[in-house]
Amino acid sequence: MRFPSRLLLANMVFALMLWAGFFVLVVAVTVGIAVFGTLNESVWEKAVQVTRWYALFVGVALVREFLPMYIAHGQTRRQFGAQAAVTVALFAPFLSALMAVGYLLETVLYNLAGRPQALGRAHLYAEPTQVPLVLIEYLVEFLAWIVAGALVGAGFYRWQGGGLLTIPIGVGLVVLAEGAIGTELRLPFLGSLPLRVDLPQSLALTLGTGLGTFLLGLLLVWAVIRDVPLRNRLS
Amino acid sequence: MRIDVEDLVLRYGDVTALDRLTLSLEGGKIYGLLGRNGSGKTSLLSVLAAFRKESAGTVRIDGQPVFENAGLTRRVSLIRDVGETIDIGTVEDALYFAEWLRPNWDAEYARTLLDTFGLTPKAKVKSMSKGQRSAMGVLVGLAGRAPLTMFDESYLGMDPPSRYAFYDALLADYMAHPRTIILSTHLIEEVSSLFEEVVIIDHGRLVVHEETQTLLSRGTAVTGPAEQVDTFTHGLTVLGAKQLGPTKSAMLYGDLDDARRRKAVEAGLELGPIAMQDLFIHLTGEPK
Repeated sequence: MRFPSRLLLANMVFALMLWAGFFVLVVAVTVGIAVFGTLNESVWEKAVQVTRWYALFVGVALVREFLPMYIAHGQTRRQFGAQAAVTVALFAPFLSALMAVGYLLETVLYNLAGRPQALGRAHLYAEPTQVPLVLIEYLVEFLAWIVAGALVGAGFYRWQGGGLLTIPIGVGLVVLAEGAIGTELRLPFLGSLPLRVDLPQSLALTLGTGLGTFLLGLLLVWAVIRDVPLRNRLS
Repeated sequence: MRIDVEDLVLRYGDVTALDRLTLSLEGGKIYGLLGRNGSGKTSLLSVLAAFRKESAGTVRIDGQPVFENAGLTRRVSLIRDVGETIDIGTVEDALYFAEWLRPNWDAEYARTLLDTFGLTPKAKVKSMSKGQRSAMGVLVGLAGRAPLTMFDESYLGMDPPSRYAFYDALLADYMAHPRTIILSTHLIEEVSSLFEEVVIIDHGRLVVHEETQTLLSRGTAVTGPAEQVDTFTHGLTVLGAKQLGPTKSAMLYGDLDDARRRKAVEAGLELGPIAMQDLFIHLTGEPK
């Protein structure tokens, strides 16, 4: 199999640009809080929750944009599936690394300003500077959100409205991964209804569940796209 | 590349788009694929490019099945108006992936075509006009140099100067890099001079597959005094007629033997060719 260098690089470059802009925005908000309020918690911790939705978008775009392009350029669904899997497997740690770098840069800023960088919710890590644990938490989370996005994207691409049925399965994958890192999923408009599974907390189980969720997600995506026809019209 | 299609069926739910279609193309030519809306042109091309899996029947290119055949599909290109190959950010982005995924990609030729069609590398493809998007599609199709290249009405959005630039580029590149090209179109008169063979399908079935000249020879325009024209055409298949004063011109379908031709000359009638579009209309029936 050919290494998906351009697919991966395109996603990485785009993510890096987004991250840079996002980081500047978060710093601006942080300065605003410091000037006009009380800064005693990590702003990055709260802000990066939105990046899970970006990961979901990456999964959707993989199927919605890149699958048709691959097939139209004479690649098979099998080739695309393999390249997409490798891309996700490498892109998720890259995205996790960006999260960790964000924490470290924030630590420098907070130290310069003499502010506490406290965390507001439970994590695998107790301090933002515990880089390996930060990486693992976001890796497990991003892997699940990307494959969930790919599954839902594949569902809508193949069955259009019928793709709604893939949403609960995608949510299930994400809830499983969130459970593995000891947290829960709160969906927009359903904030009072957190979705969670309580799993015993151990690093091995977290990694195992994260990997299992990723592989299960890939399997489900493959089941949908393995003979998917390209649409005749845009919609 | 040789194409063999046998008893091909493609269904979309209850709708049968291709109905036991059988067709063989020996390859190495420019083929015109003609058919009315909903005749099955896009469906046939989609199966040939492995965009869709056939419901029944067999599809072979160079003797091999097509669907999910990586060694084969990489040598096949289908450009449609949907824009699968181009809707990926900017023009540069689309070329970046095309270069990587197309084994025969000619980057220099692609740059030349950018100039030919007046496309800007930094332009976002989804924000382009329909004509520019069409031009972008044909650029990717031409520069990909796939041994089987198919254009499914993908140039209809272009304005006439751009379309003629496309025809010129297609012919020049085909001469320089011979391959099998299939053009599906409604602009029959505009593009028919490119066709070496013509395939007409209707209701998912093959109506005609002939060399262009053979097909055109089946139609004859008979022009002369109205009375003589009417007498001559009596009992023949008349596709249509026009009259201006005492002069009438009638279009006939079917072979005219030498005796008939002599009779026409003796009656002072002129015989001439008719347009492929008139033949197409006759062969594919009434307006829908």
